[in-house]
Amino acid sequence: MRRFLVLLKKELGELINLQTLLPFAVVVLMFMGLGQTLSSVNAEADASVVVAVADRDGGVLAGVVTAALEQAGLEPVAVTSTIDDSTAADILDEAGADIAVEIPEGFSAALAAGEQQHVESWARVRNFSIVGNQDIAALGTALEVVNSTVAAAIGAEAAPDVPPVMLQRPVITSEHVMVGDNTAEASASAVMGFVSQQTMFIPIVLFLVIVFAAQMIATAVATEKENKTLETLLSYPVSRTSIVTSKMVAAGLVALLAAGAYMFGMSEYMNGIESSFSGGPGSEAALQASDAVMRQLGLTFSTSDYLMLGLTLFASILTALAIAIILGAFAENVKSVGTLIMPLMVLLLIPYFLTMFLDLSVLPDAARYAVLAIPFTYPFITGPNLFLGNYGIVWWGIGYQLVWFAIFVTMAARVFSSDRILTMKLSWGRKKK
Amino acid sequence: MTPAGQPVLQVLALTKRYGDLEAVAGIDFEVAAGEIFALIGPNGAGKTTTLRMVATILKPTSGEILANGCDAVADPDRMRQQISYLPEEAGAYKNLKAIDYLRFVADIFFEDRERAARAVAVGREVSGLGDRLDDKLGSYSKGMTRKLLLARTVMTEPALAILDEPTSGLDVINAIELRERIKQMARDGMSVLLSSHNMLEIEYLSDRVAMIAAGRIHATGTPAELKERYSAENLEQVFAQVARDGKEVVR
Ligand SMILES: Nc1ncnc2c1ncn2[C@@H]1O[C@H](COP(=O)(O)OP(=O)(O)OP(=O)(O)O)[C@@H](O)[C@H]1O
Ligand SMILES: [Mg+2]
Repeated sequence: MRRFLVLLKKELGELINLQTLLPFAVVVLMFMGLGQTLSSVNAEADASVVVAVADRDGGVLAGVVTAALEQAGLEPVAVTSTIDDSTAADILDEAGADIAVEIPEGFSAALAAGEQQHVESWARVRNFSIVGNQDIAALGTALEVVNSTVAAAIGAEAAPDVPPVMLQRPVITSEHVMVGDNTAEASASAVMGFVSQQTMFIPIVLFLVIVFAAQMIATAVATEKENKTLETLLSYPVSRTSIVTSKMVAAGLVALLAAGAYMFGMSEYMNGIESSFSGGPGSEAALQASDAVMRQLGLTFSTSDYLMLGLTLFASILTALAIAIILGAFAENVKSVGTLIMPLMVLLLIPYFLTMFLDLSVLPDAARYAVLAIPFTYPFITGPNLFLGNYGIVWWGIGYQLVWFAIFVTMAARVFSSDRILTMKLSWGRKKK
Repeated sequence: MTPAGQPVLQVLALTKRYGDLEAVAGIDFEVAAGEIFALIGPNGAGKTTTLRMVATILKPTSGEILANGCDAVADPDRMRQQISYLPEEAGAYKNLKAIDYLRFVADIFFEDRERAARAVAVGREVSGLGDRLDDKLGSYSKGMTRKLLLARTVMTEPALAILDEPTSGLDVINAIELRERIKQMARDGMSVLLSSHNMLEIEYLSDRVAMIAAGRIHATGTPAELKERYSAENLEQVFAQVARDGKEVVR
């Protein structure tokens, strides 16, 4: 046992150095920084959105339109020139706005006479990010407010007995959403959006951590070969199993540490995104409300869920480590590790992309079984299955991966106990047996 | 002049094939307690392959390796307790301090802390590196690394030290010092199996020499016996003659 700990200490010492930790720290800091930036975008976004309004009508209802825009949180700036496609850019520049609205001549009179009217709007797209285009989202909402406010104003004239809300919003929808056995009052699309936003980073973290672990251990073996320390190591009075497991435990520990740190970085990032979407105290309440809905629907991870996710990830890391240590045995130097690890990357990328874009149940049977045969499919489907209460498949996934782990770790110990660890190279020409 | 008593190492009908190539083609030899036994022969003769098999790094294709009665092939774990091996081409962990490397190896060999500390003390002294032991191995020159590795190999005072070209890359002074040291440790009971291309070293160090060519042992004996048998003035002439014989065997 003491010998194993001595080996483990040495392996950890090899893994934990500036070279390995730096890129990893950079990623975590990057996500945290990104989160920070996003939440400060929020502060900027609170500054009111300027809209250029060309009122060519000047009537009462045109006034209602402008008031409605203001009510919707925009800051109308009156412009006098006519807006068309050729002048829009100059007018926007002059008003310091990215959106503009033009109310046509005779707007109020025509509406009073019962004719539908056009209001034209221009929106300048500066970039394609979600957060960067809040002006445009604001315009969309404002135009809806304009419609209902104008409808109410017209209705107040035409049918003074009907309360204005009846004209603005005669049908109130209240949506119910069901997940498994749970039901809650919420919009299904909002729930879907919330869940995908909350769980988006889980597969990324899984992917990064598994690749990180595999790379670490393959590099550790390749380094022993490149620095000519392997032959000596193999002559020490320690079992080959201890050599293999000490490398695996060290890489596994560092990978789990990485998983924790990535999770932390990612959640900072998600918090940043959330607070940039929600402005002010009102949306804080909305967020809490949606949290309550998620709990009601069973769409939050309980401690035992986290534990099962952790177990699944642990099983995946072990399997990846066992495969990678064998792949690393083929390496002649550290440079070749990247290429050697490719088969493992493919095994990871297939389920990663498939589960990102579609539900496995839509695949034809043969393809689905093929995907489910890949041990690394399970970490990616564990999150959704925990949400849906499919614990059976989660346990199955953990067990299935452990079976593969047992197979590969036995193979790894064989490779390290045989000549192959020294003579194995990727030259199929000179095959020995 | 075969020393009496149970030999520390017995190699019987040992062969090793790499595919079609028979690198070691059936060799027998014994190393007695406290004896320094050398393998000499041309490049590619099978010396390293033999040493690797004795060091349990390679599995023999056939034949037996017995050390103090334990079978190296059947029970490599027990074999490794009795040996210490210095490979022909060896490196060290570059981000370790030299002294920490010695400590690491001592801890691997000995569960007992005091025994490990004693080994480190021996290693420190044999290496002769003094203050430089506190430097990282990454900053070591080739010769310094070799010296440290040699010290590391003998510091555990194994029953059998296996040294593949131990002093290659060392300057004359260092080589002489280390040879003296190896000889002294052998006098204290450590057996040594080594290979070398330095005939001066062989003559100075070895009690007995095996001349190996094309995977076969052509002659075994004390340096004096071999010189007499081949009516040569020095081991180099013996070597040259055996190397020629070896070529004829291959043909
Ligand atoms: N891993 C290997 N795969 C195939 N052939 C090998 C391997 N290692 C050694 N050989 C072959 O076995 C033979 C003996 O090699 P070995 O390294 O034992 O020679 P040596 O006596 O130590 O030579 P040198 O004096 O050059 O160190 C050589 O022909 C060599 O090409
Ligand atoms: Mg050699």
